[in-house]
Amino acid sequence: MQKKYDPVTPGRKWFKELVAQVVFFVLGRAFQSAAKLDAGIRREVAEWEEGFILAMCILPKGPSMMLKKVDGRVCYAGWAKEDADLIIRFKNIESAFLVLTPQMGAAQAFAENRLSLVGDVARSMSFVRCLDRLLAYLYPAFICRPLVKRMPPVLRPIRRRLYIYTLGIPFGL
Amino acid sequence: MLPSYFEFYNPVKIVSGHKALDNLPYELSQMGVTRPLIVTDKGVVGAGLIRIVQEAFGSSGMTIGAIYEDVPPDSSVDVVNAIAEVYRANGCDGLVAVGGGSPIDTAKGVNIVVSHDKGDLKDYMGADRLTGPLKPLVVVPTTAGTGSEVTLVAVIADTKRNVKMAFVSRHLLPNLALIDPRMTLTMPAKITAATGMDALSHAMEAYTCLQKNPLSDAHATAAISLISRYLPVAVEDGKNATARLALANASCMAGAAFSNSMVGMVHALGHAAGAVCHIPHGVAMGIFLPHGLAYNLPERAEIIGELLLPLGGAEIYAATPPKSRPERLLESLNTLQKDLESKAGLPMRLKDAGAREDQLGEIALKAINDGALMMNPKEMDMEDAKAVLKKAF
Repeated sequence: MQKKYDPVTPGRKWFKELVAQVVFFVLGRAFQSAAKLDAGIRREVAEWEEGFILAMCILPKGPSMMLKKVDGRVCYAGWAKEDADLIIRFKNIESAFLVLTPQMGAAQAFAENRLSLVGDVARSMSFVRCLDRLLAYLYPAFICRPLVKRMPPVLRPIRRRLYIYTLGIPFGL
Repeated sequence: MLPSYFEFYNPVKIVSGHKALDNLPYELSQMGVTRPLIVTDKGVVGAGLIRIVQEAFGSSGMTIGAIYEDVPPDSSVDVVNAIAEVYRANGCDGLVAVGGGSPIDTAKGVNIVVSHDKGDLKDYMGADRLTGPLKPLVVVPTTAGTGSEVTLVAVIADTKRNVKMAFVSRHLLPNLALIDPRMTLTMPAKITAATGMDALSHAMEAYTCLQKNPLSDAHATAAISLISRYLPVAVEDGKNATARLALANASCMAGAAFSNSMVGMVHALGHAAGAVCHIPHGVAMGIFLPHGLAYNLPERAEIIGELLLPLGGAEIYAATPPKSRPERLLESLNTLQKDLESKAGLPMRLKDAGAREDQLGEIALKAINDGALMMNPKEMDMEDAKAVLKKAF
């Protein structure tokens, strides 16, 4: 009898997708909150055009998140639904998991071609500087240091970390 | 140093050598092109280089669709659209760019427009906006520095909005690079020196920045060896075809290296200085290269020290203890710079290149927002950039 060759449908990595979506939510809300607290992030965001949209997504159709500048402020806007000015795309779920968990920094991820950029490249530099400052609030120094080229000098990291985790992320304040 | 992961992509066929240009019609026919449009500028025509290209088509049975010779030094959307009109009106089916950075970038822009039925050039601005292959593109460089014949980038000005649009896509890579030393023989000594320093900065940054990998390293070190040996020769004797061919090859290899491992702060500062003070790119590269290497030294001492072998040669490398190699490399670079300054008048400082001290802040601001900075091994913020600029001034 002739052997039958059926199509193979690979399974989904539900756990990693779920983790990525949760981290996107945390990052988005934390960014929104840190943009109010931190003067460095405020200065960067002030240079972004009103209505500027930044999206992060996992290819091909994985979790995503969107940040939008509205009335001079950056807001977390949930899943990336609109066409964004700058899209940071993880090429696969494994690369996204490495960066989001956080085992790898943005610069290293770019150097290893794990991310691709679509759109305004110059704005990505500003976003990465903001991200470095955000990481300094989200994580203690021993976790943050390997993720950034140089620890950003942030003020009152512990107090602000407490604020971001207790009010910023849960309530979007 | 072996990276845990890397990618290298260079599908450009490279045809290099004395009279290589004579193969142009054959190579075009292999790509299915029968009516190529030649994109060039007045400088190239004035130097008699287009005549050499035209002669290469002799007895080939091929018709040149048109020769567009009015590309300005800073290409713009209007120029790209005008050339696209000529391309369509004359029924062309491929592009040949002959020139330096501007005609090559323009031809890449034209290729975007003529390969898409709808949409404006600005719809494709940024990274990875192009999704399909473009029309065949051949590049014949007439300078030995940009490496544009093997890069996936094009920069075109939108004069109405007063912004420079960057296009980055693997589809922008030409199909063929034709390197013929006849095309660079007429380059003046100062431009030879500046473009040579541009190629050297591509190779050195590719070798020292975060995305370095064994394949880009091989291209970079081969390029540095050739530049170190032949740049002073070509500056002194412009008609030396061997030196010209060596530099054109070095520029091409440096281009392939930095296309795959990117550049760093030297280019970020150079792009910014070009935008603010209109310092020619090669001149800026010559000025910033030693400062960039010195700035990155704490993070990359060993890697920078390794460059002494291709730049200084085996004897100097072997006679220098490993710890002293980075400093010795900077000394060798300084010697090369001084040589180029005395022989070709290549400026070594920003003030000699026409920059004013009150412009340094603006340059620093532009530099820290330049995408090239992403792959720099050491963080450079506004204050760091100002400090480097002050030293270079």
